[in-house]
Amino acid sequence: MPRDASTDKPLVELVNVTKIYPPDVVAVEDVSLRIYKGEILFLTGMSGAGKTTLIKLICRLETPTRGLIEVAGRDLSHISTAGVQRMRQKIGVAYQDFRLLDKQTVLQNIAMAMEVTYASTKVIRARVEELLALLNLSDKRDKRAGELSRGEQQRVALARAAANGPSLLLADEPTGNLDPAATELVINLFRHLNEKNGSTIVVATHDPSIYAETEHRVMTLNNGQLSAHPNRSPRQIELFEA
Amino acid sequence: MQFLAYILRQTGKNLRQTWGTPAMPLLTVTLSVLLFAFFFLIYTNMLRASARLGDDIRLIVYLDQEVTAQMRPGLEKKIRDFGPVEKIVFVSRSEAFARLSAQLDKEKDILNDLGPDFLPPSIEVYPLKNLNDLTKISQFSEFLLTLPHAAKVQSGSDWLRRFGYFTNLLRVVVLLSGSLLIISMTFIVSYTLRLTVLSRQGELEILRLLGATSAYIRLPLLLEGMMQGFLGSSLGLAALYFLYQYIASRFSGPGFLRLFDFTFFPPELTGAILLASIVLCTVGSLFSIRRFIRI
Repeated sequence: MPRDASTDKPLVELVNVTKIYPPDVVAVEDVSLRIYKGEILFLTGMSGAGKTTLIKLICRLETPTRGLIEVAGRDLSHISTAGVQRMRQKIGVAYQDFRLLDKQTVLQNIAMAMEVTYASTKVIRARVEELLALLNLSDKRDKRAGELSRGEQQRVALARAAANGPSLLLADEPTGNLDPAATELVINLFRHLNEKNGSTIVVATHDPSIYAETEHRVMTLNNGQLSAHPNRSPRQIELFEA
Repeated sequence: MQFLAYILRQTGKNLRQTWGTPAMPLLTVTLSVLLFAFFFLIYTNMLRASARLGDDIRLIVYLDQEVTAQMRPGLEKKIRDFGPVEKIVFVSRSEAFARLSAQLDKEKDILNDLGPDFLPPSIEVYPLKNLNDLTKISQFSEFLLTLPHAAKVQSGSDWLRRFGYFTNLLRVVVLLSGSLLIISMTFIVSYTLRLTVLSRQGELEILRLLGATSAYIRLPLLLEGMMQGFLGSSLGLAALYFLYQYIASRFSGPGFLRLFDFTFFPPELTGAILLASIVLCTVGSLFSIRRFIRI
Protein backbone atom coordinates (compact mmCIF):
# COMPACT_ATOMS: atom_id res chain seq x y z
CA MET A 1 0.00 0.00 0.00
CA PRO A 2 1.90 3.10 -1.18
CA ARG A 3 1.56 6.08 1.08
CA ASP A 4 1.21 9.77 0.41
CA ALA A 5 3.63 11.52 2.72
CA SER A 6 2.28 14.97 2.00
CA THR A 7 -1.18 14.26 3.41
CA ASP A 8 -0.58 11.43 5.88
CA LYS A 9 -0.03 12.10 9.53
CA PRO A 10 2.77 9.97 10.93
CA LEU A 11 1.66 7.01 12.98
CA VAL A 12 4.98 7.02 14.81
CA GLU A 13 7.14 10.05 15.32
CA LEU A 14 10.50 10.20 17.06
CA VAL A 15 12.07 13.57 17.68
CA ASN A 16 15.72 13.76 18.75
CA VAL A 17 15.46 10.53 20.67
CA THR A 18 18.48 9.35 22.62
CA LYS A 19 18.70 6.24 24.75
CA ILE A 20 21.63 5.74 27.07
CA TYR A 21 21.90 2.59 29.16
CA PRO A 22 23.76 2.92 32.42
CA PRO A 23 26.49 3.67 32.92
CA ASP A 24 27.11 5.35 29.57
CA VAL A 25 26.20 3.00 26.71
CA VAL A 26 24.62 5.05 23.96
CA ALA A 27 22.21 2.73 22.14
CA VAL A 28 20.32 5.33 20.12
CA GLU A 29 21.54 8.86 19.55
CA ASP A 30 19.50 11.85 18.50
CA VAL A 31 17.20 9.88 16.23
CA SER A 32 14.36 11.65 14.46
CA LEU A 33 12.03 9.54 12.39
CA ARG A 34 8.49 9.63 11.05
CA ILE A 35 6.72 6.39 10.19
CA TYR A 36 3.52 6.83 8.25
CA LYS A 37 0.30 4.90 8.33
CA GLY A 38 0.39 1.97 5.91
CA GLU A 39 4.13 2.20 5.42
CA ILE A 40 6.61 -0.64 5.41
CA LEU A 41 9.94 0.50 6.82
CA PHE A 42 13.12 -1.52 6.95
CA LEU A 43 15.57 -0.66 9.72
CA THR A 44 18.92 -2.13 8.91
CA GLY A 45 22.25 -2.14 10.66
CA MET A 46 24.87 -4.32 12.24
CA SER A 47 24.25 -6.19 15.46
CA GLY A 48 24.34 -3.72 18.33
CA ALA A 49 23.54 -0.79 16.06
CA GLY A 50 20.45 0.06 18.12
CA LYS A 51 17.65 -1.55 16.05
CA THR A 52 16.18 -3.54 18.95
CA THR A 53 16.38 -0.52 21.27
CA LEU A 54 14.49 1.57 18.72
CA ILE A 55 11.77 -1.10 18.47
CA LYS A 56 11.56 -1.28 22.29
CA LEU A 57 11.28 2.51 22.50
CA ILE A 58 8.39 2.56 20.03
CA CYS A 59 6.40 -0.06 21.96
CA ARG A 60 7.41 1.57 25.26
CA LEU A 61 9.35 -1.34 26.61
CA GLU A 62 12.04 1.24 27.13
CA THR A 63 11.76 4.94 27.79
CA PRO A 64 14.06 7.43 26.07
CA THR A 65 16.75 9.25 27.99
CA ARG A 66 16.00 12.31 25.90
CA GLY A 67 13.59 13.20 23.14
CA LEU A 68 9.95 12.69 22.25
CA ILE A 69 8.16 9.63 20.94
CA GLU A 70 4.57 9.78 19.73
CA VAL A 71 2.49 6.86 18.58
CA ALA A 72 -0.86 7.66 16.97
CA GLY A 73 -0.45 11.22 18.19
CA ARG A 74 0.09 10.26 21.83
CA ASP A 75 3.25 11.21 23.68
CA LEU A 76 4.51 7.96 25.19
CA SER A 77 6.13 9.73 28.12
CA HIS A 78 2.74 10.96 29.30
CA ILE A 79 0.66 7.86 28.67
CA SER A 80 -1.09 6.04 31.51
CA THR A 81 -0.62 2.35 32.32
CA ALA A 82 -4.05 1.61 30.86
CA GLY A 83 -3.07 3.64 27.81
CA VAL A 84 0.08 1.55 27.35
CA GLN A 85 -2.00 -1.62 27.66
CA ARG A 86 -4.47 -0.43 25.04
CA MET A 87 -1.63 0.63 22.77
CA ARG A 88 0.15 -2.71 23.05
CA GLN A 89 -3.05 -4.51 22.08
CA LYS A 90 -2.93 -2.59 18.82
CA ILE A 91 0.79 -3.03 18.24
CA GLY A 92 2.11 -6.43 17.28
CA VAL A 93 5.70 -7.09 18.26
CA ALA A 94 7.73 -10.08 17.10
CA TYR A 95 10.71 -10.20 19.41
CA GLN A 96 14.16 -11.32 18.41
CA ASP A 97 14.13 -13.88 21.22
CA PHE A 98 10.52 -14.89 20.30
CA ARG A 99 9.22 -14.78 23.91
CA LEU A 100 7.04 -17.83 23.52
CA LEU A 101 5.78 -20.07 26.29
CA ASP A 102 7.59 -23.34 25.63
CA LYS A 103 5.10 -25.51 27.51
CA GLN A 104 2.09 -24.14 25.68
CA THR A 105 0.99 -25.18 22.25
CA VAL A 106 1.40 -23.13 19.11
CA LEU A 107 -2.34 -22.46 19.16
CA GLN A 108 -2.26 -21.27 22.78
CA ASN A 109 0.74 -19.05 22.18
CA ILE A 110 -0.89 -17.27 19.27
CA ALA A 111 -4.33 -17.16 20.88
CA MET A 112 -2.87 -15.44 23.94
CA ALA A 113 -2.49 -12.18 22.03
CA MET A 114 -6.19 -12.20 21.15
CA GLU A 115 -7.38 -13.43 24.53
CA VAL A 116 -6.07 -10.30 26.23
CA THR A 117 -8.43 -8.30 24.01
CA TYR A 118 -11.31 -10.56 25.10
CA ALA A 119 -12.01 -11.74 21.56
CA SER A 120 -14.46 -14.62 21.27
CA THR A 121 -13.13 -18.16 21.09
CA LYS A 122 -14.66 -18.61 17.65
CA VAL A 123 -12.92 -15.53 16.26
CA ILE A 124 -9.62 -16.54 17.84
CA ARG A 125 -9.82 -20.04 16.41
CA ALA A 126 -10.53 -18.80 12.89
CA ARG A 127 -7.80 -16.17 12.99
CA VAL A 128 -5.18 -18.59 14.34
CA GLU A 129 -6.02 -21.12 11.63
CA GLU A 130 -5.66 -18.41 8.99
CA LEU A 131 -2.26 -17.31 10.29
CA LEU A 132 -1.00 -20.86 10.62
CA ALA A 133 -1.96 -21.50 7.02
CA LEU A 134 -0.24 -18.30 5.88
CA LEU A 135 2.97 -19.30 7.64
CA ASN A 136 2.75 -22.98 6.72
CA LEU A 137 2.41 -24.07 10.35
CA SER A 138 -1.02 -25.72 10.29
CA ASP A 139 0.41 -29.13 11.13
CA LYS A 140 2.21 -27.69 14.18
CA ARG A 141 -0.93 -26.20 15.74
CA ASP A 142 -1.08 -28.57 18.73
CA LYS A 143 2.65 -28.96 19.25
CA ARG A 144 4.30 -27.35 22.22
CA ALA A 145 6.34 -24.29 21.26
CA GLY A 146 9.39 -25.75 22.98
CA GLU A 147 9.33 -28.74 20.60
CA LEU A 148 9.59 -26.59 17.47
CA SER A 149 12.72 -25.64 15.53
CA ARG A 150 14.04 -22.07 15.85
CA GLY A 151 12.64 -21.17 12.45
CA GLU A 152 9.20 -22.49 13.38
CA GLN A 153 9.29 -20.66 16.69
CA GLN A 154 10.15 -17.49 14.83
CA ARG A 155 7.12 -17.89 12.62
CA VAL A 156 4.89 -18.56 15.65
CA ALA A 157 6.18 -15.34 17.21
CA LEU A 158 5.28 -13.50 13.99
CA ALA A 159 1.84 -15.09 13.90
CA ARG A 160 1.23 -13.95 17.48
CA ALA A 161 2.35 -10.42 16.59
CA ALA A 162 -0.03 -10.41 13.62
CA ALA A 163 -2.95 -12.04 15.44
CA ASN A 164 -4.91 -8.90 16.27
CA GLY A 165 -4.47 -7.41 12.79
CA PRO A 166 -2.33 -4.67 14.39
CA SER A 167 -2.21 -1.14 13.08
CA LEU A 168 1.55 -1.26 13.73
CA LEU A 169 3.70 -4.36 13.53
CA LEU A 170 7.25 -4.26 14.81
CA ALA A 171 9.38 -7.22 13.76
CA ASP A 172 12.84 -7.61 15.21
CA GLU A 173 15.04 -9.81 12.98
CA PRO A 174 12.03 -11.76 11.71
CA THR A 175 14.00 -13.88 9.27
CA GLY A 176 17.11 -14.51 11.34
CA ASN A 177 16.48 -18.24 11.58
CA LEU A 178 14.58 -18.84 8.37
CA ASP A 179 15.45 -20.54 5.11
CA PRO A 180 14.58 -18.71 1.84
CA ALA A 181 11.22 -20.46 1.52
CA ALA A 182 10.16 -19.53 5.04
CA THR A 183 11.51 -16.00 4.52
CA GLU A 184 9.21 -15.73 1.51
CA LEU A 185 6.25 -16.75 3.70
CA VAL A 186 7.10 -14.04 6.21
CA ILE A 187 7.41 -11.40 3.48
CA ASN A 188 4.03 -12.52 2.16
CA LEU A 189 2.54 -12.20 5.63
CA PHE A 190 3.82 -8.62 5.89
CA ARG A 191 2.43 -7.84 2.45
CA HIS A 192 -0.89 -9.45 3.40
CA LEU A 193 -1.17 -7.40 6.62
CA ASN A 194 -0.13 -4.23 4.88
CA GLU A 195 -2.50 -4.59 1.97
CA LYS A 196 -5.46 -6.18 3.73
CA ASN A 197 -5.39 -4.36 7.08
CA GLY A 198 -3.38 -1.29 6.16
CA SER A 199 -0.92 -2.21 8.87
CA THR A 200 2.24 -0.17 9.26
CA ILE A 201 5.20 -2.50 9.41
CA VAL A 202 8.64 -1.83 10.79
CA VAL A 203 11.18 -4.56 10.14
CA ALA A 204 14.50 -4.44 11.95
CA THR A 205 16.91 -6.68 10.08
CA HIS A 206 20.45 -7.20 9.00
CA ASP A 207 19.32 -9.66 6.30
CA PRO A 208 19.75 -7.81 2.97
CA SER A 209 17.77 -10.43 1.08
CA ILE A 210 14.48 -9.10 2.41
CA TYR A 211 14.98 -5.44 1.56
CA ALA A 212 17.34 -5.56 -1.44
CA GLU A 213 14.57 -5.41 -4.01
CA THR A 214 12.06 -3.45 -2.01
CA GLU A 215 10.55 -0.19 -3.07
CA HIS A 216 9.81 0.65 0.56
CA ARG A 217 11.87 2.92 2.74
CA VAL A 218 15.10 1.49 4.13
CA MET A 219 16.88 3.26 6.99
CA THR A 220 20.18 2.30 8.53
CA LEU A 221 21.26 2.55 12.12
CA ASN A 222 24.95 2.83 12.75
CA ASN A 223 26.23 3.17 16.30
CA GLY A 224 22.80 4.45 17.33
CA GLN A 225 22.60 7.08 14.60
CA LEU A 226 19.99 6.88 11.88
CA SER A 227 20.58 7.59 8.22
CA ALA A 228 19.17 6.62 4.84
CA HIS A 229 20.46 3.34 3.49
CA PRO A 230 23.56 4.01 1.34
CA ASN A 231 22.37 1.95 -1.64
CA ARG A 232 18.93 3.45 -1.81
CA SER A 233 16.84 3.68 -4.92
CA PRO A 234 15.48 7.02 -6.20
CA ARG A 235 12.11 6.06 -4.76
CA GLN A 236 13.71 5.43 -1.40
CA ILE A 237 15.51 8.79 -1.56
CA GLU A 238 12.20 10.46 -2.28
CA LEU A 239 10.62 8.73 0.69
CA PHE A 240 13.52 9.59 2.97
CA GLU A 241 13.40 13.24 2.00
CA ALA A 242 9.72 13.26 2.82
CA MET B 1 -19.86 -11.58 29.84
CA GLN B 2 -16.88 -12.37 27.61
CA PHE B 3 -14.68 -10.67 30.19
CA LEU B 4 -16.07 -12.81 33.02
CA ALA B 5 -15.70 -15.98 30.96
CA TYR B 6 -12.06 -15.12 30.31
CA ILE B 7 -11.33 -14.40 33.95
CA LEU B 8 -12.90 -17.68 35.04
CA ARG B 9 -11.13 -19.63 32.30
CA GLN B 10 -7.83 -18.01 33.20
CA THR B 11 -8.38 -18.88 36.88
CA GLY B 12 -9.06 -22.50 35.94
CA LYS B 13 -5.95 -22.51 33.76
CA ASN B 14 -3.83 -21.11 36.57
CA LEU B 15 -5.09 -23.74 39.00
CA ARG B 16 -4.46 -26.55 36.51
CA GLN B 17 -0.93 -25.34 35.83
CA THR B 18 0.05 -24.90 39.47
CA TRP B 19 -2.35 -27.30 41.22
CA GLY B 20 0.30 -28.49 43.71
CA THR B 21 1.07 -25.01 44.98
CA PRO B 22 -2.46 -24.00 46.06
CA ALA B 23 -2.97 -27.38 47.76
CA MET B 24 -0.81 -26.31 50.72
CA PRO B 25 -2.68 -23.11 51.58
CA LEU B 26 -5.94 -24.98 51.07
CA LEU B 27 -4.88 -27.49 53.71
CA THR B 28 -3.65 -24.70 56.00
CA VAL B 29 -6.90 -22.77 55.64
CA THR B 30 -8.91 -25.94 56.30
CA LEU B 31 -6.96 -26.78 59.47
CA SER B 32 -6.96 -23.19 60.73
CA VAL B 33 -10.71 -22.88 60.28
CA LEU B 34 -11.25 -26.28 61.89
CA LEU B 35 -9.13 -25.35 64.90
CA PHE B 36 -10.68 -21.93 65.35
CA ALA B 37 -14.24 -23.08 64.76
CA PHE B 38 -13.77 -26.00 67.16
CA PHE B 39 -12.81 -23.75 70.08
CA PHE B 40 -15.36 -21.15 69.06
CA LEU B 41 -18.09 -23.78 69.02
CA ILE B 42 -17.18 -24.92 72.54
CA TYR B 43 -16.98 -21.32 73.68
CA THR B 44 -20.40 -20.35 72.33
CA ASN B 45 -21.95 -23.44 73.91
CA MET B 46 -20.25 -22.67 77.22
CA LEU B 47 -21.62 -19.13 77.11
CA ARG B 48 -25.10 -20.48 76.50
CA ALA B 49 -24.74 -23.01 79.30
CA SER B 50 -23.41 -20.30 81.62
CA ALA B 51 -26.44 -18.13 80.88
CA ARG B 52 -28.74 -21.07 81.58
CA LEU B 53 -26.99 -21.84 84.87
CA GLY B 54 -27.42 -18.22 85.87
CA ASP B 55 -31.13 -18.52 85.18
CA ASP B 56 -31.42 -21.57 87.46
CA ILE B 57 -29.63 -20.04 90.42
CA ARG B 58 -31.02 -20.74 93.89
CA LEU B 59 -29.74 -19.59 97.29
CA ILE B 60 -30.34 -21.93 100.23
CA VAL B 61 -30.15 -20.58 103.78
CA TYR B 62 -29.67 -23.41 106.29
CA LEU B 63 -31.10 -22.55 109.67
CA ASP B 64 -30.34 -23.90 113.13
CA GLN B 65 -33.98 -23.60 114.17
CA GLU B 66 -37.38 -24.21 112.55
CA VAL B 67 -39.12 -21.14 111.27
CA THR B 68 -42.55 -20.80 112.75
CA ALA B 69 -45.54 -19.65 110.74
CA GLN B 70 -45.46 -16.32 112.61
CA MET B 71 -41.84 -15.68 111.70
CA ARG B 72 -42.25 -16.34 107.99
CA PRO B 73 -43.88 -13.01 106.84
CA GLY B 74 -41.18 -11.01 108.64
CA LEU B 75 -38.35 -13.02 107.12
CA GLU B 76 -39.93 -12.89 103.69
CA LYS B 77 -40.28 -9.10 103.90
CA LYS B 78 -36.65 -8.72 104.99
CA ILE B 79 -35.46 -10.78 102.05
CA ARG B 80 -37.66 -9.03 99.48
CA ASP B 81 -36.55 -5.63 100.84
CA PHE B 82 -32.94 -6.51 100.06
CA GLY B 83 -33.48 -7.49 96.46
CA PRO B 84 -36.00 -8.65 93.85
CA VAL B 85 -36.90 -12.25 94.40
CA GLU B 86 -39.02 -14.55 92.29
CA LYS B 87 -40.07 -16.82 95.10
CA ILE B 88 -39.17 -17.88 98.64
CA VAL B 89 -39.77 -21.41 99.87
CA PHE B 90 -39.55 -22.36 103.52
CA VAL B 91 -38.49 -25.99 104.01
CA SER B 92 -39.02 -27.60 107.38
CA ARG B 93 -36.95 -30.53 108.72
CA SER B 94 -39.71 -33.00 107.87
CA GLU B 95 -40.13 -31.57 104.35
CA ALA B 96 -36.39 -31.82 103.76
CA PHE B 97 -36.47 -35.41 104.95
CA ALA B 98 -39.40 -36.21 102.66
CA ARG B 99 -37.58 -34.69 99.68
CA LEU B 100 -34.42 -36.67 100.35
CA SER B 101 -36.43 -39.79 100.79
CA ALA B 102 -38.13 -39.21 97.45
CA GLN B 103 -34.80 -38.54 95.76
CA LEU B 104 -33.30 -41.75 97.11
CA ASP B 105 -36.31 -43.63 95.75
CA LYS B 106 -35.60 -47.38 96.13
CA GLU B 107 -32.67 -46.75 98.44
CA LYS B 108 -34.61 -44.71 100.93
CA ASP B 109 -34.21 -47.60 103.41
CA ILE B 110 -30.86 -46.19 104.44
CA LEU B 111 -32.78 -43.38 106.13
CA ASN B 112 -34.68 -45.77 108.36
CA ASP B 113 -32.30 -45.45 111.27
CA LEU B 114 -32.17 -41.69 110.99
CA GLY B 115 -34.98 -39.66 112.35
CA PRO B 116 -36.66 -36.90 110.29
CA ASP B 117 -34.84 -34.33 112.39
CA PHE B 118 -31.33 -34.92 111.16
CA LEU B 119 -31.67 -32.49 108.24
CA PRO B 120 -31.64 -28.74 108.97
CA PRO B 121 -34.59 -26.55 108.08
CA SER B 122 -33.90 -24.06 105.29
CA ILE B 123 -35.16 -21.14 103.22
CA GLU B 124 -34.83 -21.46 99.44
CA VAL B 125 -34.52 -18.07 97.79
CA TYR B 126 -35.02 -17.90 94.03
CA PRO B 127 -33.75 -14.54 92.77
CA LEU B 128 -35.09 -13.00 89.58
CA LYS B 129 -33.51 -14.34 86.31
CA ASN B 130 -31.51 -11.18 85.86
CA LEU B 131 -29.42 -11.88 88.94
CA ASN B 132 -26.53 -13.62 87.21
CA ASP B 133 -23.75 -11.36 88.36
CA LEU B 134 -21.40 -13.21 90.70
CA THR B 135 -20.76 -10.13 92.88
CA LYS B 136 -24.48 -9.54 93.38
CA ILE B 137 -24.99 -13.20 94.26
CA SER B 138 -22.19 -12.98 96.84
CA GLN B 139 -23.73 -9.83 98.34
CA PHE B 140 -27.09 -11.54 98.49
CA SER B 141 -25.50 -14.56 100.18
CA GLU B 142 -23.79 -12.35 102.75
CA PHE B 143 -27.07 -10.64 103.51
CA LEU B 144 -28.91 -13.94 103.89
CA LEU B 145 -26.30 -15.04 106.44
CA THR B 146 -27.39 -12.14 108.68
CA LEU B 147 -30.95 -13.46 108.95
CA PRO B 148 -32.00 -14.77 112.39
CA HIS B 149 -30.95 -18.41 112.94
CA ALA B 150 -29.05 -18.56 109.61
CA ALA B 151 -26.20 -21.07 109.93
CA LYS B 152 -24.93 -21.34 106.39
CA VAL B 153 -25.78 -20.10 102.90
CA GLN B 154 -25.24 -22.22 99.83
CA SER B 155 -25.38 -20.28 96.59
CA GLY B 156 -23.36 -22.31 94.08
CA SER B 157 -21.45 -19.11 93.30
CA ASP B 158 -18.11 -20.86 93.74
CA TRP B 159 -19.04 -23.32 91.08
CA LEU B 160 -20.30 -20.52 88.86
CA ARG B 161 -17.06 -18.62 89.44
CA ARG B 162 -14.97 -21.61 88.37
CA PHE B 163 -17.22 -22.00 85.34
CA GLY B 164 -16.67 -18.32 84.58
CA TYR B 165 -12.88 -18.75 84.83
CA PHE B 166 -13.03 -21.65 82.40
CA THR B 167 -15.16 -19.63 79.98
CA ASN B 168 -12.64 -16.77 80.18
CA LEU B 169 -9.79 -19.18 79.50
CA LEU B 170 -11.70 -20.51 76.53
CA ARG B 171 -12.19 -16.96 75.31
CA VAL B 172 -8.42 -16.51 75.31
CA VAL B 173 -8.00 -19.77 73.37
CA VAL B 174 -10.60 -18.61 70.84
CA LEU B 175 -8.82 -15.28 70.46
CA LEU B 176 -5.48 -17.04 70.01
CA SER B 177 -6.83 -19.51 67.47
CA GLY B 178 -8.61 -16.63 65.73
CA SER B 179 -5.32 -14.75 65.51
CA LEU B 180 -3.65 -17.88 64.20
CA LEU B 181 -6.42 -18.14 61.63
CA ILE B 182 -5.87 -14.56 60.47
CA ILE B 183 -2.08 -14.90 60.32
CA SER B 184 -2.05 -18.30 58.63
CA MET B 185 -4.65 -17.35 56.05
CA THR B 186 -3.26 -14.02 55.02
CA PHE B 187 0.40 -14.99 55.14
CA ILE B 188 0.19 -18.49 53.71
CA VAL B 189 -2.13 -17.45 50.90
CA SER B 190 0.01 -14.42 50.23
CA TYR B 191 3.22 -16.47 50.27
CA THR B 192 1.79 -19.18 48.02
CA LEU B 193 0.54 -16.63 45.56
CA ARG B 194 4.01 -15.18 45.53
CA LEU B 195 5.33 -18.62 44.56
CA THR B 196 2.66 -18.87 41.86
CA VAL B 197 3.61 -15.45 40.53
CA LEU B 198 7.29 -16.39 40.50
CA SER B 199 6.61 -19.69 38.73
CA ARG B 200 4.54 -17.86 36.12
CA GLN B 201 6.84 -14.89 35.79
CA GLY B 202 7.52 -15.65 32.11
CA GLU B 203 3.86 -15.89 31.21
CA LEU B 204 2.95 -12.73 33.13
CA GLU B 205 5.75 -10.89 31.38
CA ILE B 206 4.45 -11.95 27.96
CA LEU B 207 0.91 -10.99 28.95
CA ARG B 208 2.19 -7.54 29.86
CA LEU B 209 3.93 -7.27 26.48
CA LEU B 210 0.74 -8.25 24.72
CA GLY B 211 -1.16 -5.48 26.47
CA ALA B 212 -3.09 -7.54 28.99
CA THR B 213 -5.01 -5.25 31.33
CA SER B 214 -4.46 -5.19 35.07
CA ALA B 215 -7.82 -6.90 35.54
CA TYR B 216 -6.89 -9.68 33.11
CA ILE B 217 -3.70 -10.46 35.02
CA ARG B 218 -4.77 -9.73 38.57
CA LEU B 219 -8.37 -10.87 38.80
CA PRO B 220 -7.68 -14.59 38.19
CA LEU B 221 -5.07 -14.53 40.96
CA LEU B 222 -7.48 -12.72 43.26
CA LEU B 223 -10.17 -15.25 42.42
CA GLU B 224 -7.70 -18.01 43.23
CA GLY B 225 -7.27 -16.56 46.73
CA MET B 226 -11.03 -16.21 47.17
CA MET B 227 -11.55 -19.80 46.07
CA GLN B 228 -8.92 -20.99 48.53
CA GLY B 229 -10.77 -19.13 51.29
CA PHE B 230 -14.13 -20.55 50.27
CA LEU B 231 -12.97 -24.12 49.72
CA GLY B 232 -10.65 -24.20 52.75
CA SER B 233 -13.24 -22.83 55.17
CA SER B 234 -15.99 -25.01 53.69
CA LEU B 235 -13.86 -28.10 54.22
CA GLY B 236 -12.89 -26.97 57.73
CA LEU B 237 -16.50 -26.30 58.72
CA ALA B 238 -17.67 -29.54 57.13
CA ALA B 239 -15.01 -31.46 59.10
CA LEU B 240 -16.14 -29.74 62.29
CA TYR B 241 -19.77 -30.56 61.55
CA PHE B 242 -18.94 -34.25 61.13
CA LEU B 243 -16.91 -34.14 64.33
CA TYR B 244 -19.85 -32.50 66.09
CA GLN B 245 -22.24 -35.12 64.75
CA TYR B 246 -19.91 -37.88 65.91
CA ILE B 247 -19.60 -36.40 69.41
CA ALA B 248 -23.32 -35.64 69.64
CA SER B 249 -24.27 -39.19 68.64
CA ARG B 250 -21.79 -40.76 71.09
CA PHE B 251 -22.41 -38.52 74.09
CA SER B 252 -26.07 -37.55 73.79
CA GLY B 253 -28.35 -38.57 76.62
CA PRO B 254 -28.71 -37.45 80.21
CA GLY B 255 -25.01 -36.76 80.63
CA PHE B 256 -22.70 -33.86 79.93
CA LEU B 257 -24.00 -32.84 76.53
CA ARG B 258 -27.60 -32.95 77.62
CA LEU B 259 -26.71 -30.60 80.46
CA PHE B 260 -25.10 -28.16 78.04
CA ASP B 261 -27.53 -28.73 75.16
CA PHE B 262 -24.58 -28.79 72.73
CA THR B 263 -25.57 -27.22 69.40
CA PHE B 264 -23.79 -26.41 66.13
CA PHE B 265 -23.35 -22.89 64.80
CA PRO B 266 -26.49 -21.27 63.44
CA PRO B 267 -26.45 -20.77 59.63
CA GLU B 268 -25.72 -17.03 60.03
CA LEU B 269 -22.57 -17.68 62.07
CA THR B 270 -21.45 -20.43 59.67
CA GLY B 271 -21.89 -17.95 56.82
CA ALA B 272 -19.96 -15.30 58.75
CA ILE B 273 -16.99 -17.65 59.32
CA LEU B 274 -17.07 -18.58 55.63
CA LEU B 275 -17.20 -14.94 54.60
CA ALA B 276 -14.41 -13.95 56.99
CA SER B 277 -12.17 -16.71 55.56
CA ILE B 278 -12.87 -15.57 52.00
CA VAL B 279 -12.09 -11.97 52.94
CA LEU B 280 -8.85 -12.95 54.72
CA CYS B 281 -7.63 -15.04 51.79
CA THR B 282 -8.57 -12.29 49.36
CA VAL B 283 -6.63 -9.78 51.43
CA GLY B 284 -3.63 -12.16 51.40
CA SER B 285 -3.87 -12.47 47.63
CA LEU B 286 -4.28 -8.75 47.20
CA PHE B 287 -1.19 -8.12 49.28
CA SER B 288 0.92 -10.36 47.05
CA ILE B 289 -0.63 -9.10 43.85
CA ARG B 290 0.06 -5.49 44.74
CA ARG B 291 3.56 -6.27 45.91
CA PHE B 292 4.83 -8.72 43.32
CA ILE B 293 2.97 -7.97 40.12
CA ARG B 294 4.02 -4.88 38.30
CA ILE B 295 1.75 -4.01 35.42
